[in-house]
Amino acid sequence: MSGEVERIRQQALAELQQASSTAALAEWHGRYLGRRGELTQLMRRISQVPPEERPAYGQAVNALKEELAARFEQREAEVKRSELSQRLAAEAVDVTLPGRAADVGGLHPVTQMIREVTTIFNHLGFQTVEGPEVEYGYYAFDALNIPQDHPARDVWDTIFIVSDQKEIVLRPHTSPMQIRTMERRQPPVRVVVPGRCYRFEAVDATHEWHFHQIEGLAVDEHITMADLKGTLAEFARQLFGQERKVRFRCDYFPFVEPGVDFAIDCMFCRGEGCRVCKGTGWIEILGAGMVHPQVLRNVGYDPERYTGWAFGMGVERLVMLKYGVPDIRLFYQGDLRFLAQFNRALA
Amino acid sequence: MKVPVRWLKELVPTELSAREIAERLTLAGLEVEAITEIGSTWDNIYVGVVERIEPHPNADRLVLATVDAGTHRLTVVTGAPNIAPGQKVALALPGATLYDGHSVEPKLITLKPSTIRGVRSEGMVCSEKELGLSDEHEGIMVLHADAPVGVPLREYLGDQVLELEITPNLVHAFSVVGVARELGALIGQRVRYPERAPLPVGGPEGLVTIEAPDLCYRFVGVVIEDVKVGPSPWWMQQRLQAAGMRPINNVVDITNYVMLEWGQPQHAFDRDRLREGRIVVRRARPGEKIETLDGVLRELDPDTLVIADAERPVGIAGVMGGLESEITEQTRTVLLETANFEMRSIRRTARAQRLRTEASARFERGLDPNLAWEGATRAIALFQQLIPGCRVTAVVDIYPNPRLPRQLCMPRSEIPRLLGVDFPDELVLEVLDRLEFQPELRQEDGRAVIIVQVPTYRSDVTIAADLVEEVARVIGYHELPEALPLGRTVPVEISPELRLVRAVQDTLVAAGLTEVITYPMVDEAALRALLPGAATFPDRYGLYPRPERELVRAVNPIRPEWAIMRPSLLPSLLRSAAENLKFNRAVAIFETGKVYLPRGLDELPDERRTLGCLLAGARHLRDLYHEERPVDYFDLKGVLETLLPRIGAPDLRFRPLTHPSLHPGRAAEVLVKGQPVGILGEVHPEVVEAFEIDPDLRVVFAEIDLQRLLEVGLEPPRLRPVSRYQPIDQDFAVVVDEATPATEVADAIMAGAGALAVSVRLFDIYRGPAIPAGKKSLAFRVTFSAPDRPLSDEELARLRERIEGHLRRRVKGELRR
Repeated sequence: MSGEVERIRQQALAELQQASSTAALAEWHGRYLGRRGELTQLMRRISQVPPEERPAYGQAVNALKEELAARFEQREAEVKRSELSQRLAAEAVDVTLPGRAADVGGLHPVTQMIREVTTIFNHLGFQTVEGPEVEYGYYAFDALNIPQDHPARDVWDTIFIVSDQKEIVLRPHTSPMQIRTMERRQPPVRVVVPGRCYRFEAVDATHEWHFHQIEGLAVDEHITMADLKGTLAEFARQLFGQERKVRFRCDYFPFVEPGVDFAIDCMFCRGEGCRVCKGTGWIEILGAGMVHPQVLRNVGYDPERYTGWAFGMGVERLVMLKYGVPDIRLFYQGDLRFLAQFNRALA
Repeated sequence: MKVPVRWLKELVPTELSAREIAERLTLAGLEVEAITEIGSTWDNIYVGVVERIEPHPNADRLVLATVDAGTHRLTVVTGAPNIAPGQKVALALPGATLYDGHSVEPKLITLKPSTIRGVRSEGMVCSEKELGLSDEHEGIMVLHADAPVGVPLREYLGDQVLELEITPNLVHAFSVVGVARELGALIGQRVRYPERAPLPVGGPEGLVTIEAPDLCYRFVGVVIEDVKVGPSPWWMQQRLQAAGMRPINNVVDITNYVMLEWGQPQHAFDRDRLREGRIVVRRARPGEKIETLDGVLRELDPDTLVIADAERPVGIAGVMGGLESEITEQTRTVLLETANFEMRSIRRTARAQRLRTEASARFERGLDPNLAWEGATRAIALFQQLIPGCRVTAVVDIYPNPRLPRQLCMPRSEIPRLLGVDFPDELVLEVLDRLEFQPELRQEDGRAVIIVQVPTYRSDVTIAADLVEEVARVIGYHELPEALPLGRTVPVEISPELRLVRAVQDTLVAAGLTEVITYPMVDEAALRALLPGAATFPDRYGLYPRPERELVRAVNPIRPEWAIMRPSLLPSLLRSAAENLKFNRAVAIFETGKVYLPRGLDELPDERRTLGCLLAGARHLRDLYHEERPVDYFDLKGVLETLLPRIGAPDLRFRPLTHPSLHPGRAAEVLVKGQPVGILGEVHPEVVEAFEIDPDLRVVFAEIDLQRLLEVGLEPPRLRPVSRYQPIDQDFAVVVDEATPATEVADAIMAGAGALAVSVRLFDIYRGPAIPAGKKSLAFRVTFSAPDRPLSDEELARLRERIEGHLRRRVKGELRR
């Protein structure tokens, strides 16, 4: 009978090697190791074995059963792996096909720049506040030391609003919020004010009648022009790169004294002189200065005790410089083909 | 203002280049916007002297001129009528670049030797036009007799011109002398002032009368007789042209020259054409007119200050003279006006007459009345130089309130207090001295002060801060250190409104919308177009009811279509969509802008921060995975259902809305905590069409009042415990009347399930033979979960029963089995 055990063994192992699918394996398992399989049959035939050989026979069958079970497990793992790799091979795709897009929109470049600039100033200790766009002439001009009929008023070509007794305008700058802020609080004052402004101005590639400014104001004891210079330099380097050189020069605005024009070295030509900087090597990015004592007096601050500085910058210009936008009109034509190019997460 | 560099260097001799001068002036507040070159093309052109003139053998109107230019000696053929032996001329050699004298447009040509009527011409003597100096091509340009023969013309005549921007405070620098003073102070050099003539005062009574002393502070009148009017000398014409003025005749040119040099405008009258030969300075009388030098007949209102003779106006004071009394070749006696006027009056008149002149630009900045004397004496020196034989026969100077230098006292500590850095006393005093402020450092009440006498031409220096600026700008702002502010800080709190706007923007971007910023102004046509048929104005503008009052309106809009501050974002976004649909099939945009709701006429409007969202055209473009489909109401509703809970708006509801601009069956009011905060709906096809969008495209719009949202109260998330046990999903198919809103069915389910239902989601709507006509079956998947236990079958059965009860009672709903 032991010949029979060996025959079954040979046959089972040969067939197992042939079985190359899960189904064939299952069938093999049933045939040999199943309840009515060959091994069960062999064990049943123990009765036909002479009694003295039975223990050895029984051991041989059991050993075979164990061997086959082990070989089965091994083979099964092989087959499964091979089947999986076949499936995976069949599932191969052209990985260059487009993905299923997650539709994400974008913020307007002016909003992005306002966020970037105000965040820099927030971290320098300035609070963001906003104010009205439709504004009294008092706040837009008089309180800022720009009297009626003064030639300085011509600098701001103003759009006026229909009113009765009081002069009401579309604010031509964000500076009225200097007055409103100081009227509401006592020093120390440190604010930045983003917002829309309007001018009665012919529109061309660098001028818009509707634009955005960011105003800054710091007032307290011991606020100096050296702080102004340091703060603006820090700002410019954070926005335009640490390697930027800065230039402070004298300029005139009626609500500051001394007045400042703040420029950075041209990033397009590195100060050599090019079309963007009109050959000067410098790009003016904002006006600033020490708050005029009369302005402090207008809001009830004592100019002998307090000093302050203020600055104002055009947001569109910053975007144009930073990203090389050639024409300011692109911002408000609202063309999605332009705006979509700014769809990015802020750095 | 244009300042020729040669002129400037005559007053302040310096080796600095034009570029270096421009740099110094710009840093100190006189911005040089450009430097232009005169003579940059003048290669191979030299100063020559005409040795002899011979007739041309073959032509009567041509001559042969032999010109000596030192190393070059040439014979040229010329037809210039004014050429004569001994003249100094500009001689161009072959290879020189010249402007074509016969071309109307400026056209550069290169000179070649040529043969004219059989005689070889080796070069050319040049006209002003050929040199690019003017349009003059009648004859050659004759140089001054001093011109050095053999010197390149560029060295002799070439110049650079600084173009300065004169800010409103810089009236003291609105002249060559003024810029020279600035430059002198910056580089530490005294100005060499031009020569002036002594002028003894004396003249007949009544030569000049000032009837409006409030508008005319000073009047210097000088009578000059035996004047011979003719062209002014070449050097003066050259300077006038370099500074941007046209030479007229010697008398007028003198007045313009003095204005450019000193900043003091003047006017010369032909005295013989003044009635009674006298001047009255007064306000215009009703109905008075004048024809000004530009040939325009102008009506004068009674606010206008005029220079009149005994009868009628002969000039608009400080702006422009009259044509009738202008200087002509026949003029023999000149009455020269050098006056000072009140600045605001001049500004008003120049604006009212729309006549900005070199004179008015200076007067309206507030000229120093003392300058009038300097102007008059300088002019007389020039008269005597240019017109030998002319005689000053009368001088009057009416100046009732002479302006004196202002004394100013600045605490010494003011410099470090404002600048954050200090400079040595000697340096500060030297700078102020260079500015001619006569500084004096003193102790007063135990503290150091600097006393200065501000020259009267520095009307911009009135307070200590002005002096600090003077010190800082002359030393240079580059000397200031960079620091950061010291001292007390303020809490950097960001307002709820700003935070809300930011959250709204970020969420909408993540939801696939792109932010636009539109002009916040509209016109009446756009507002009417919000009503189908556009017969009148709708009773609502987007979210907001039409105000009782007039909308906020500009007096002087840039364009008529930007005249009214918008009362809603709807027209702005429709316009943006219309533009974008020309180039895009899918538009998904939003704006977090303001709307402007009127209050009283003299009150500022209510500027409300509002969100507008608009979807139009296709929702998804067709690609590998999606079919394209048109947007509809539910696309934007889904956006709001994402947005509002994310920003903490609880209890979001939508209720049907009738709105003039929206689809009658696809519009809803948006409620938070039962309060209306916005609207949502498909835009009415007729409104869509009125905004030039294809009415077959669906446009969905929503407008949310963000300020209202804050007033209603946004809430932080209310946390509920997260269960450890498996949630269980059960489906409920509810048959209700067709008219029953789905929300109410969902509400009934929620009410029945109580706290154990964590979500109720509608996933199918069925209408058909399996249910009665006029009914619909809504299939909801409800997820149940208890925080503290697994839900048993019995509990679920009880819940189902309670839900069934609520459905029956609240919406007359039956569960389908």
